[in-house]
Amino acid sequence: MRSLQARLVLAASLVLTVFLGVGGFALDRSFHDSAKTSVRQRLQAHVYALLAAADVDSRGMLHMPASLSDERLQRPGSGLYAQVEGAGGAVLWRSASELGKQIPAAGPLVPGRWAFARLPAPQGGGLFMLSFGVAWDTGADGGQRYTFTVAEDVAAYQAQVDRFRRSLVIWLGAAAGLLLLVQGSILRWSLAPLRAVERELQAVEAGAQSRLEGAYPRELKGLTGHLNALLESERRQLARYRDALADLAHSLKTPLAVLRGALDPRRREQLESVVREQADRMNTIVDYQLQRAATSGRTALMAPVNVASVIERVVNSLHKVYRDRDVQAELRVADDILFHGDEDDLMELAGNLADNAFKWCRHRVRVSAHREGQSLLLAVEDDGPGIPAGQRDRVLDRGGRADAGVSGHGIGLAVVADIVTAYGGTLRIETGELGGARVCAAFPGV
Amino acid sequence: MRVLVIEDEAPLREQLVSRLRADGYAVDSAADGDEGLYLGLEFPVDVGVVDLGLPGRSGMEVIAALRAAGKAFPILILTARGRWQDKVQGLEAGADDYLVKPFEIEELLARLRALLRRAGGWSQSVLHCDPLSLDTATRTVTLAGVPVELTSYEYRILEYLMLHAGEVVSKVELTEHIYDQDFDRDSNVIEVLIGRLRRKLDPDHALNPIETRRGQGYRFALARTPS
Repeated sequence: MRSLQARLVLAASLVLTVFLGVGGFALDRSFHDSAKTSVRQRLQAHVYALLAAADVDSRGMLHMPASLSDERLQRPGSGLYAQVEGAGGAVLWRSASELGKQIPAAGPLVPGRWAFARLPAPQGGGLFMLSFGVAWDTGADGGQRYTFTVAEDVAAYQAQVDRFRRSLVIWLGAAAGLLLLVQGSILRWSLAPLRAVERELQAVEAGAQSRLEGAYPRELKGLTGHLNALLESERRQLARYRDALADLAHSLKTPLAVLRGALDPRRREQLESVVREQADRMNTIVDYQLQRAATSGRTALMAPVNVASVIERVVNSLHKVYRDRDVQAELRVADDILFHGDEDDLMELAGNLADNAFKWCRHRVRVSAHREGQSLLLAVEDDGPGIPAGQRDRVLDRGGRADAGVSGHGIGLAVVADIVTAYGGTLRIETGELGGARVCAAFPGV
Repeated sequence: MRVLVIEDEAPLREQLVSRLRADGYAVDSAADGDEGLYLGLEFPVDVGVVDLGLPGRSGMEVIAALRAAGKAFPILILTARGRWQDKVQGLEAGADDYLVKPFEIEELLARLRALLRRAGGWSQSVLHCDPLSLDTATRTVTLAGVPVELTSYEYRILEYLMLHAGEVVSKVELTEHIYDQDFDRDSNVIEVLIGRLRRKLDPDHALNPIETRRGQGYRFALARTPS
């Protein structure tokens, strides 16, 4: 079931079938019942008419008039039959319509009691039969008992029911068809924005447009918004890779030129030191540009990262590396502070800052993180010699020239500065409460 | 000191092995994680150098497996990617220090020395047991400030005993940690070397820096001088 439309149509059809089926069945049942009731009422009227027409003489003999109110009782095979049975069950009178077709005896009935039954007939069809027990007061010996029976062929009733069923099926079918049609068009209409997204994405893929431009319904806004964010971050990532590659190539040219120059036979004695120096420089450049390209920056789809756990991991690792130093690291990070960005970036940032602090401190390092309004502030400080005010800008200055990295704090701070910039934040170096350098990164809305 | 080197790049591995041997280490080396793990489990390794990006079983897995098997020797990881994620994961897996490639081999040697003396409970690079001093960085020994000339094997034995100062070290243990494989353990070369060390360090029999524990081995008996 790959298509949403097919799913919805299938589900709707199933629901429709069940509802219409149950509804149709209920309608059919109630029509059956009311038709049966009307048959009974009709037969009852005939019984009353027969009772009114019957006469019993003083000797207790039953007399029925030759002609009855309903001519169907006179016509053989008309479908309406009547008979009167005596107390012993003997049939005393049969209507003329019973000629050639005898209806079964009803059996004696207690006076005042009705009996209604549907009798199946062996050749199909059948009879509705209504009997009524009567005690006729003849004045003599307590009266005579009779059972009046009127019967009607099922055929008429059946025809009525069949007619009703036919029209029921036709109307319900028409309603179902119409509903499906309406639903199909509603679906097409509702899913149209999805098709529009697809068309736009194809256009993005083909390079015809750079983002999803259409005005989408509220339910799709989230999806299209995230898609746009993803497209944007992909584009930024690509641009960063391109820049890093270009920077890398350009910044390697200088040491390469120096190396080539060192091959000059007149400067042979300096060859070793030049090679060593330039290899170091190239290594620094490669490291820096790799780190820069790996920084992912903020994207819309990042799961938030728990700052405390990342910093704890970094600090525990550093304790291991600087075991000889006996560093006291103090973490001031609340458990619920989250960083909405890449965990790798946060670890890189915390790792570089904390590594510098462990390297330069005398005994104490403090890492703190807290929120200030919408911003996340992350600060690392130590009780070491600090960074002189005049050098702070140079330490942070990247300007794409990694090979000019300041020794001591190495390329670590330049990498940190790059990460902070990728998140649209700012980096500050100052003198901290512990007396050494305090590096503070501020991320707006991260 | 016995070093285990697990590194898949053959030129770097050979460079490391030959330099470590030249510096007086007994070296076992492996080109992949499985062989490396086997060596780490079977040999009396003092310190390990493990590359993180190994074919087959990764360096991280090798370290975790060694630690899970109860091997406590210090491990230095080598990583080509300088990302902190890798360093932190490696250290969490049980490594003790890391070095980002490319590195100066001198830097690696210094880190190994630091790990070895840390494992022995020393926090300075000079092991000082008055009046004897052993500088692990320059591999020189002084007695009351006067340099003592030692051969490479004499130095190795003294360094091992001093790193484990106060502990009894058996002859077999000394042999295993100082010589490469296939050394004849029954030979009396250790006794000869110990004898020569004693003559050089204690010509007057006044100090007795190396005790013999009959049937057990040797013990460096001078107290560690607090730094």
